[in-house]
Amino acid sequence: MIEKGKISPFQMALIIYAVVVGTAILYIPFITAQHAKRDLWLSPIWAALSGFLIVFIITKLYKLYPKKTLVEYSELILGRTLGKIIGFIFLFFLLYDTAIAFREYGEFVESAFLHKTPLVVVTGGIALTCAFAVHGGIEVLGRCAIIFLPIVLVLYLIIYLFLIPDLNVKNIFPIMEYGWIPSIKGSLAPHAWLSQFSLLSFLLPFLSDETKGMKWSILSVSVSVMTMVYINLGNIFLFGGIITSTQFPVFQAARYISIGSIFEHVESIVIAVWVLGGFVQLSAFFYMLVLGTSQWLKLHSHKPIILPFGFLIILFSVWSASSFQEMIRSMGTTTPFYFITIQLLIPMLLLFVAVIREKLRKA
Amino acid sequence: MKVGGIFGITALIVLIYLWEWPKLKKNGRKIIVVFFTLITIGWVLAILLVLFPNMPGPSQLIDFIFKPIGRYWEIS
Repeated sequence: MIEKGKISPFQMALIIYAVVVGTAILYIPFITAQHAKRDLWLSPIWAALSGFLIVFIITKLYKLYPKKTLVEYSELILGRTLGKIIGFIFLFFLLYDTAIAFREYGEFVESAFLHKTPLVVVTGGIALTCAFAVHGGIEVLGRCAIIFLPIVLVLYLIIYLFLIPDLNVKNIFPIMEYGWIPSIKGSLAPHAWLSQFSLLSFLLPFLSDETKGMKWSILSVSVSVMTMVYINLGNIFLFGGIITSTQFPVFQAARYISIGSIFEHVESIVIAVWVLGGFVQLSAFFYMLVLGTSQWLKLHSHKPIILPFGFLIILFSVWSASSFQEMIRSMGTTTPFYFITIQLLIPMLLLFVAVIREKLRKA
Repeated sequence: MKVGGIFGITALIVLIYLWEWPKLKKNGRKIIVVFFTLITIGWVLAILLVLFPNMPGPSQLIDFIFKPIGRYWEIS
């Protein structure tokens, strides 16, 4: 075992919550709104299906192969060559996913604050900070999550509480004006995001109390879905019809906050806190990528390959899209299918083969 | 501009190498091979990206594979 640290189930739930929700409320509401319009808030509820399904699959697989991650048991399930190929596909996806998350934060910070700074400087800075956390291992990540995430969660809640005078509940009507289809179509990106719970596979082996893994994972999915519904409801109450043209709705919402005209420009605090959540998210992604790769190559230590991977992540974040508009377009059309194929279909296939193997072994 | 970029990338790679080398030596042969493969991939890719910023990448591949389904989500 490369990593000797342990995390509590609560820490695991917080880390995976950060991984999913950190970017899910950044600009995903904008993509969802393109199809769902006023039924924006329904889409995450459909997407919850993917979340619960993947948690079920991953915990089932973990019970069959205790103390192993997806990269390790894919080899045991499918045999050496095929297992290595599946492992590579998954790791490449993880690299791409990490790079996209870095790009999202980079674009966000740039469009909100640092208008003239090159993107690479922002993402590079974040990558360097994350590299320190990754170097510390899983325990450092768990503690970061326990310190930072409560602050971030409170922030998500109070943004819309401060805006209560401006919220117009009537904006939500008519519910399902054009039937079910728009909200289901809009749930594509949330489906892709919630399927990221497959990354639990990299955290489960480090649990101090394994019996509670499933319970906390389910709780984490539920809280993620509730957060997304809450944020989307807040957005629709605040913006109404113009939600379809608001790129970073939560950030825009924070700009509206003004209490007694002395408490203004809250968005700077919002970004600062948001980046805290982002730090946990990106470090977790980075950590899983590095850990998965060293398990795939059967290395003794994951530390020496952290910096080279940081460099690769930055390159991929530049490479993955020519512009932010381009990225939003592909996030609304093709990329979610990539997410779902890798994170839902591959574990499903693995579980299918593993169960058949188990049956044959017993027969 | 491009020469500066290539120079900067090379400097960065050398820095990563210098930072990791003392620890690398203790870790055995396999990890050294992996480390050098990774930084070589990074170096080549970085220089290619400086020279051809619009080089088609993984995103184009994903677009190509999933276009038949993704079409239905295109906003008209």
